[in-house]
Amino acid sequence: MAFTFILPPELSAKEPPERRGIRRDQVRLLVIDRATGRIEHTRFDKIDNYLRAGDLLMFNSSRTLPASLRGCDCSATHGPCMEVRLAERLSDDSWLALLVCEQGDPFGCGLRAGMEIAFAEELTATVLERDAHIPRLWKLRFSISGAAFVDLIYRLGRPIRYEYVSAPWDLDYYQTVYATEPGSAEMPSAGRAFTWKLLLDLKRRGIDSAYMVLHTGLSSYLDDELDREHPASEEEYFVSRITAAKINQTRKAGGRVIAVGTTVVRALESATNENGSVMEAHGYTRLKIDNQHRLRAVDGLLTGLHEPEASHLDLLSALLPVEQIHAAYGEAIARRYLWHEFGDLNLIL
Amino acid sequence: MALRFAREGAAGLSLVARHADKLNAVGDEIRKLAPKIDIITIQADVSKPRDIERIVATTLAQFKGVLDVLVNNASTIGPSPMPYLLDYPVEDFREVLDTNLMGPFLLIKNALPAMIERSGSIINVTSDAGQVGYPGWGAYGISKFGLEGLSQTWASELQETGVRVNWVDPGNMNTAMHRVAEPEEDPSEWADPADVTDVFVFLASDESKGLTGKRFQAQEDWRARLNDEAREEDEAGELKSSS
Repeated sequence: MAFTFILPPELSAKEPPERRGIRRDQVRLLVIDRATGRIEHTRFDKIDNYLRAGDLLMFNSSRTLPASLRGCDCSATHGPCMEVRLAERLSDDSWLALLVCEQGDPFGCGLRAGMEIAFAEELTATVLERDAHIPRLWKLRFSISGAAFVDLIYRLGRPIRYEYVSAPWDLDYYQTVYATEPGSAEMPSAGRAFTWKLLLDLKRRGIDSAYMVLHTGLSSYLDDELDREHPASEEEYFVSRITAAKINQTRKAGGRVIAVGTTVVRALESATNENGSVMEAHGYTRLKIDNQHRLRAVDGLLTGLHEPEASHLDLLSALLPVEQIHAAYGEAIARRYLWHEFGDLNLIL
Repeated sequence: MALRFAREGAAGLSLVARHADKLNAVGDEIRKLAPKIDIITIQADVSKPRDIERIVATTLAQFKGVLDVLVNNASTIGPSPMPYLLDYPVEDFREVLDTNLMGPFLLIKNALPAMIERSGSIINVTSDAGQVGYPGWGAYGISKFGLEGLSQTWASELQETGVRVNWVDPGNMNTAMHRVAEPEEDPSEWADPADVTDVFVFLASDESKGLTGKRFQAQEDWRARLNDEAREEDEAGELKSSS
């Protein structure tokens, strides 16, 4: 269904809101009413005006990793150096990663299976093979794993940054306030605007929260053609028994389940059975959601503004007719909304 | 304290210290004592924000996002002999505040999301120098005044979350830091750190559920004081209802 539009470069949020002189919860909010198609423009800290007692906000509490590492091919003398962008941890404890050469063609420095990459004295990786689904990604086996690996990448890594950000912001700027278990290559950014004060205020008003984990992969493979195809990456997710029960109770009682981020929609729709019940689950999902998908677990969505032809736009069409999304995005551009992880937000209810 | 938690049956322990040798020695001792315990040792400096991110992320990676108890007991005394404030080197002053005050603030901030759903327990280690401005205790005392204020504010802001925040003054203890701070005193008169752990076990356990915003003195009869306070609260409640 993907529609396209031209996103003026100045509408990319270059700084976190806190560095633009506003609080994280003072970004703008574009609200679309699913029933009427009506569009409203407000500020995120007024989101409670659109929620009601009995609603459940579903968050992805995955913590962002400093997933960008610098390493050099140590299997050859004077081997090339590269940026290694971790994408996904696989069930056999290997990782999918994007390898970007430091010099010249980003993918032309002799990347190959069997290559050894050294990051530091204590950390090396062997390149095993190309990924079958997303050929820009390589499968890597690191010399250590588990918590020791996390400890080391927090010493060596930096958050993944794209060219539109104005400075190398610290990892702290790439975290939601409720992040727990580390594992995401990029921040699940739809929830970035929430503060604890707002969450507690909402709870007092009967709007509850629940958490699941989906470790996000990369949003770009630095390859326009591949990015246009927007292949669905395989992402690990966990839905606990308590969270599943909260969702099912909410829906049974007539409340709405509002996903904070497209990652939540993918995880919950992956964990829902034919009867519409969300189940406790741990797995990997490649679920692609578009206008052919009938949503079973989610009634509303809070999300960022997505790039032209991004797969997330396909997902929005499961909630709204394409024309309405197009109209809303037209208004967002006209009103100078900001895109990307530090940008403004879109609530669809 | 780590040994005591292990003896009490903690399912997992994450130990943090600046020096790997001592840290690993305690880790090894605990593994012998409780072979089934899930233990991780992290060499880090809590005065560095990047280290704090690493501590929390590594701990949560090890424990699959679960954390029930956070004890902030890392502390530095600053220069020895302890200078008067007028003589205090600015960099040393800042380093003490970074370790003793900013460290606990950032650790709580980073760890809290994992603790809220489980109604966890935060225990900050303070000192009588956090209540009395002793001459010469400069940055250390001021950092502990700050830590007590920080603890009170966290406790009130988290009141409705179920997470409890309490702080413990362990009293005079025979630690390397205390011996450096008061070299002219006789350390044999001070308590062994292993002897003041009861209150930490109490605050980490379900027995203290619902108890928040309180200051404890580990070497006093804190259980009697808690009982007295509970009795006084009951009596006040009865008076109110009868009037």
